[in-house]
Amino acid sequence: MAFNPLDEQGIAVEDQFRNWSELNVTPYDKHTVDPYTRTRVILMNGIEVESILFSHQFARHTDNLELKRALATGRRVDAQQQKAVNGLNPGEQTPLETTLGYEQVAVDLTAWLARHEPDPMLKQALDFALLEDFDHLYRYANLYDLMYGGHAEDITQHLTEITPGRPTILEHRHPHDEVRPHFETHAVDPLSRMHVMTIVAAEQQTMNFYMNHGTDWIEPIARGLYAEIALIEEQHVTHYESLLDPLDSWIANWVFHEYNEVYLYWSMLQQESDRRIKAMWELHCNMEIGQLQVACDFMRRLEGREPAELLPPAVPDTPVTFEPNKDYVRQVLAEQIDLRADGIDYVDVDDLPSSHRYFQYQATVNEGGAPSEQVVEQTREKRGTEHRDETEGDHPVRDLRPQHAS
Amino acid sequence: MPILTPTAATGARSASQEMTYVDPARTMPPEEPDAFLEGTSLNGPFVADLLSDMMAHERAGARLYRSVAERTNNPVLKQRYTQFGKETTDHVEILETLVADLGGDPRYVSPAARATEKAGTGLLESTFLLTGSVDLMTQELVMLDAVLLAEAKDQANWACLAAMVEDLPEGDVREAFQTAVDEVEVQEDEHLTWAQDTRCRMISLQSTSGPATSLTMKAEQIVARIRSLFE
Repeated sequence: MAFNPLDEQGIAVEDQFRNWSELNVTPYDKHTVDPYTRTRVILMNGIEVESILFSHQFARHTDNLELKRALATGRRVDAQQQKAVNGLNPGEQTPLETTLGYEQVAVDLTAWLARHEPDPMLKQALDFALLEDFDHLYRYANLYDLMYGGHAEDITQHLTEITPGRPTILEHRHPHDEVRPHFETHAVDPLSRMHVMTIVAAEQQTMNFYMNHGTDWIEPIARGLYAEIALIEEQHVTHYESLLDPLDSWIANWVFHEYNEVYLYWSMLQQESDRRIKAMWELHCNMEIGQLQVACDFMRRLEGREPAELLPPAVPDTPVTFEPNKDYVRQVLAEQIDLRADGIDYVDVDDLPSSHRYFQYQATVNEGGAPSEQVVEQTREKRGTEHRDETEGDHPVRDLRPQHAS
Repeated sequence: MPILTPTAATGARSASQEMTYVDPARTMPPEEPDAFLEGTSLNGPFVADLLSDMMAHERAGARLYRSVAERTNNPVLKQRYTQFGKETTDHVEILETLVADLGGDPRYVSPAARATEKAGTGLLESTFLLTGSVDLMTQELVMLDAVLLAEAKDQANWACLAAMVEDLPEGDVREAFQTAVDEVEVQEDEHLTWAQDTRCRMISLQSTSGPATSLTMKAEQIVARIRSLFE
């Protein structure tokens, strides 16, 4: 049966505040957790962070007391939700193990969105960055092995392959080549809008996580790798946020944020295997419906617009799903490994003139070597082989098959 | 009921530009505007964009009227905003019918319409985003200012269309345009004149209302003054 959040009451926002005990949740067990429960936790934490940051930005652009108070109230509830969600991560899970979870999110969320994206330009944008996040998982897996003798597949449980994507060293682009055209807000499929909003939030959270955790280590190789990949995540936020149409009003954006949160919590609870965490997704879904109703009320009164004119009649039939995407990723690897960005276009690297700013930027940032290469070289030297988890056979790109220590 | 917010669900189509990408399935193919008003002296693609732009302005106007009618504390203003809002919604429908009768797509959102919508959104937001730094009386004036500015362009749009009709040869196209202009132009003149006059009256009443300023008055007193403004 179609689920239309506008037909639901949800929980009134004023009734959504929780006490410290409710927020100080018991974490999952990192040894037994379903990897996709971990990815759901990481994604929904990022979604709440985006909601909070958006609300702060909106609040800085108005002095309407009623509006500011409503934003402050919703934001406080979102901040509590964020604490409850992020609190599910256990303290015994190291930042690097959490990082591996972040990259599993990046791979399997991006690939799933791309598989279900109806708009070819947006699908291309997802495919393009997918290969880069896929490579980050491989680089961090090697760091995990190098530093701790760790096996990243203990985290990913073989649901996501660990092998090179578009090599991180080649991902560094001039900022001008990161800006993309945006969808058109009237003509865009509602599903596409939610895909873009979701991936912006996820990549932004990854960027923030690496910005703050890059200095958790003493080892220069770890600090360097985090710095290098953090900058790619900044590129990805630029890349994805470009896709959003700047025409939409502040209130419309507020409504879209709340609607997307409802859709995502509803999606998460469809798949959750952990009953306790599923109950949290359900609770938060009902809370978001209450928050959506508030945003819709402001839209009616201040913008003179019925939210039903703007929103789809029901959330999409298909919930956003964490599941293996190995065949899809392999197909994109085989077809798009050599793509680069040239202005707002994607081109084969062989079509870029040698004078292109891409090569100049590459020469600048990679002068003296790149940690993303060094981490694999050092792992090879220490372990005799680099760290991979290729469950579906040889790498689809011959040049990216393993090299052994000389 | 006309469409006040074109979306994919209502069949909205648009045109790609340097930074606007439209899914091919929802892109207005160039041959459609090229064929629009073919055989007349008019530049079909330009007029298709213009009519979409005018619709965007009327749609923004309908939302503006809904919003200010909800928020004004003055019954005279509320009555007028409600009435003009209904008429403005009718204008959207008249334009939709005109475009459809001429063989165009009333769900087309042209690049010019997007720019107009942005201006309309800014105008509407000016009436509520900064209400914390203006008193209630000034808020009334800000809302009326927004109406005046919106109606100025609206009236100019229809005056231009009326002038364009005069240059058209007799026939179905001219008749379609003339019918729309005849229905709307008089109302647009009335809307603009009313907004200009009412703004003048409000400013005049305020200017001569005695030394008590809204800064020293309680909110209930200001509301009472606003309610009785045109009595």
